[in-house]
This record gives sequence, C-alpha cells and structure tokens, in this order.
Amino acid sequence: MRRARIYHQGRVIWANASEDGSVLHLPSGETVRSDEVHWLPPIEPGATVFALGLNYADHSAELGFKPPETPLVFLKGGNAFVGHGGYTPRPADANQMHPECELVAVIGRPARRVPKASALEYVSGYTIANDYAIREYLENYYRPNLRVKNRDATTPLGPWIVDAAVVEDPQALKLSTRVNGAEIQSGSTVDMVFDIATLVEYLSEFMTLLPGDMILTGTPHGVHFVSHGDEVVCEIEKIGRLINRIEMAP
Amino acid sequence: MVRAISTSWGTVYGAALNDAELLRSLSDEFKKPPYKAPPLAPVLFIKPRNCLSFGGAAVPLPADLTSVRVAATVAVFFSRDLTKAKPKDVKSAIGAACLALDVSELGSNFFRPAVRQQCRDGFLPLSSFVDLPNELAEVITSIDGREAHRWSLSRLARSVEVLCSEISSFMTLKSGDLLLLGLPGDAPVATVGQSIEVSSAHFASLRTSIVAESTL
Repeated sequence: MRRARIYHQGRVIWANASEDGSVLHLPSGETVRSDEVHWLPPIEPGATVFALGLNYADHSAELGFKPPETPLVFLKGGNAFVGHGGYTPRPADANQMHPECELVAVIGRPARRVPKASALEYVSGYTIANDYAIREYLENYYRPNLRVKNRDATTPLGPWIVDAAVVEDPQALKLSTRVNGAEIQSGSTVDMVFDIATLVEYLSEFMTLLPGDMILTGTPHGVHFVSHGDEVVCEIEKIGRLINRIEMAP
Repeated sequence: MVRAISTSWGTVYGAALNDAELLRSLSDEFKKPPYKAPPLAPVLFIKPRNCLSFGGAAVPLPADLTSVRVAATVAVFFSRDLTKAKPKDVKSAIGAACLALDVSELGSNFFRPAVRQQCRDGFLPLSSFVDLPNELAEVITSIDGREAHRWSLSRLARSVEVLCSEISSFMTLKSGDLLLLGLPGDAPVATVGQSIEVSSAHFASLRTSIVAESTL
C-alpha cells in the first residue's frame, strides 16, 4: 500500500497510489489519474514531527562536527510541509539553501518505553522528506532555529507512505538527491548514527509517541546550494521519488 | 467568558528569550561561545501534542526526576493564518487566549535545549480559553497555596503584536496554532507532591500538581 493524501474535487482524501504513482485508487472505489489531483503532504495537522541533526557520520564530518553521542532531536511545525510536486520558496538572500533527503518513519500505534528489539513494530510506514536548510539564518539559540528549519513549505514530504511490511529492512535503503538531473547526495540508511529502532526507543523513553507522528531520520553528506528554478528529486529505494521545485520567494 | 475551541489543534510554539530582564542579565554571556552574538530573530521552541494537558491533570515525573521549573505565561490561539503581518493586524488573527505552564527540567541551556528535558508527557498544562484581554495583568504562580512568583508581561521584550509580526515574517502562524508569549527567566521550581495554581486577571485559573509517575 502507498497511502497518499490528496486534494480531489474540493476535499482532502487518503488514497492508494499505484506502484508508479500514475493512478490513485480512492476509498469510494473510483480511480483517478494522479495528474488530475494535487498531492498533499501525507500528514495530519497536529502530528508531532521529530527531525534529527547530524545523524549520518559523513554529513557531520562535512559540516565540521563530531557525530553526536545522544540523538540531536528538534521539532517541526505544520507550516513547513508541502506535498509532492510542490514549490518551495527561496528568499532572494538565501544563497546557502540546500536540500536534505531523509527517510521518514511513521508511528503506527502509541509507543511508550519501547525497547529497541520491538521498536520497529511501532512503525507502520515510511515516506521521504526533503528538509531544506538555509544556513544564512543560523543563530546559536535553540539550534537549529526555526528561522532556518521551519519556514513555510520548506519541507517537501511524500509522495506517499509505504507500508512498513513492504520496506522490510529500513536500514538498508539507498537514498539520493538530484538537482536538475545531477546527483548531489548519495548514501545508504545503513550509515545512520542512530538507527530507527534506537530513535523510537530513545524518544519513547521520555514521551508517548502517537499514531501519525513522524521521525525525519537525518541526511547523508552532500551540501549543494540551490537556485530559483531548480528541480530537486529525492529518491529512496522501495519508497519512491519526491519531486520539488525552487521558486523565488514573493 | 470561556470560548470553546472547535478548530483542530495545529502546532504549539513558544517564544524563548522574550523576557527583557532575562536578556539584560545574560547580555554578557550571550557575547561569548557558544552564543557569540545576541539573538536577532525571535527564538522559538515547539511543545508537541503529548505535552498538552487540561482540566487540572497532574504533571507526572519519572522516578529519577523530583523537581522541575514551572514557567507561567499567557498563550494566544490563532483563528486566522498570519503571514508577513504588520503589528497592527496581529490581534485580528488571535481568537482566544489562555494561561499556560511551561514545565521543563532544570539545568537546560539556550544553545541546544534537549527535547527530552522540555517535552515529557503533560509538560504543558493549559487553562480554559477566554478572549484575549486588552491589557495583560500580572501572572501569579502559587505553589501549595503560597505565592511563589509573579511577573508582568510588560517585561516582554517583544509585545504580542511585535512578536507575532516578526515571526510571521519568516513563517506562517496558522489557524489552530498556539503561541506562548514568553517565559520568565526567574520561574520557580516545583517538586513532587506540590500543587500549583496560575492566575491572572481576566483569565480562568490553571491548576495542576506535580506527581510521581509511578503513583498514577
């Protein structure tokens, strides 16, 4: 199952996408072509969204940091998300804006004090995030500050949520980012500093994770600054391809 | 008048470092590493949905935690989206307000506060909602019936209008979002077994208590 949240004929619907994403099966039994609908980020308002800083050792080295000893977790608000095929505004002065392809784990049932060994039983699916950062706006308070990581529509999410059973091992997936066709990020989820099971164990030790909550698991190396008009494609094996375009911020 | 909130919840944001007295007291420290320069844009944090509690529910602490900082403040609820708004247009987007008690572990920092220290279950008790008063009165925190803290929101470095306007210059405050206006730098500490009441003129009082999680 590839569960997509779409806007169709005046309302929001969760639909099932065909493997190539060209067709959507609606709950009513109808089938529509995906170019007849708008893709929305596959998340419900109010869900808790965690993101991980420096969770790939090679990306830490590239930014001049040591890999962290405990997960560097930050949170994101609902304004940040935009669906597959959407646009992300780039402010005129954002010369250091870069995409970050990330595997996203979606929580499927309440999780509290879950041991690592059973943690993946609480993950119901996976999707893709492109968690753009704009380095010019970094300040050394509550890092990474929301002006860098929580701007409107700067976190493309989707296209859909793939069932966990289809993915099997989430720590053996190739991920990549291409900008206008040229590969600028390439890695594997095997290189995460803290794998998904460890993150679920860590977070659920101090708080309850609820269905629909999401964990953006960090990004591998490859910092490439984007420009207006760029097409950015984040791809993760067994999940899909998330397409996004950079537009001039109004 | 208590207003029902029918809109579904969005994100709960809080303004950190919006207490002018705290900023003054830290002005030298903020020139040194790891900060290096005073904050320019509003500094925000997020309290996820597991933190929210209502109706006098207790704040549970795990066995290894016996005391927490309890920072009382006013929160505003947005009934319209606010994007690139001028200060004068902010209040028309605010549909309600409440008292909030931001609970956190002691010994946090301003550089990279750990979610683990700020976002445990129940770490954001809220009062019921009322109209945003024209003037914000002092917010008083009593612990076990005795006044432990009071502060005037005239201490806010950015007023509600300026704060929301500046936030909306880089992100939309959406209908359904809640924003804590600022936390007092001298907030008191409460320990397991204590009861807390937060009050302020024109607001419904907020009552909670700190309990050991094992007793729930």
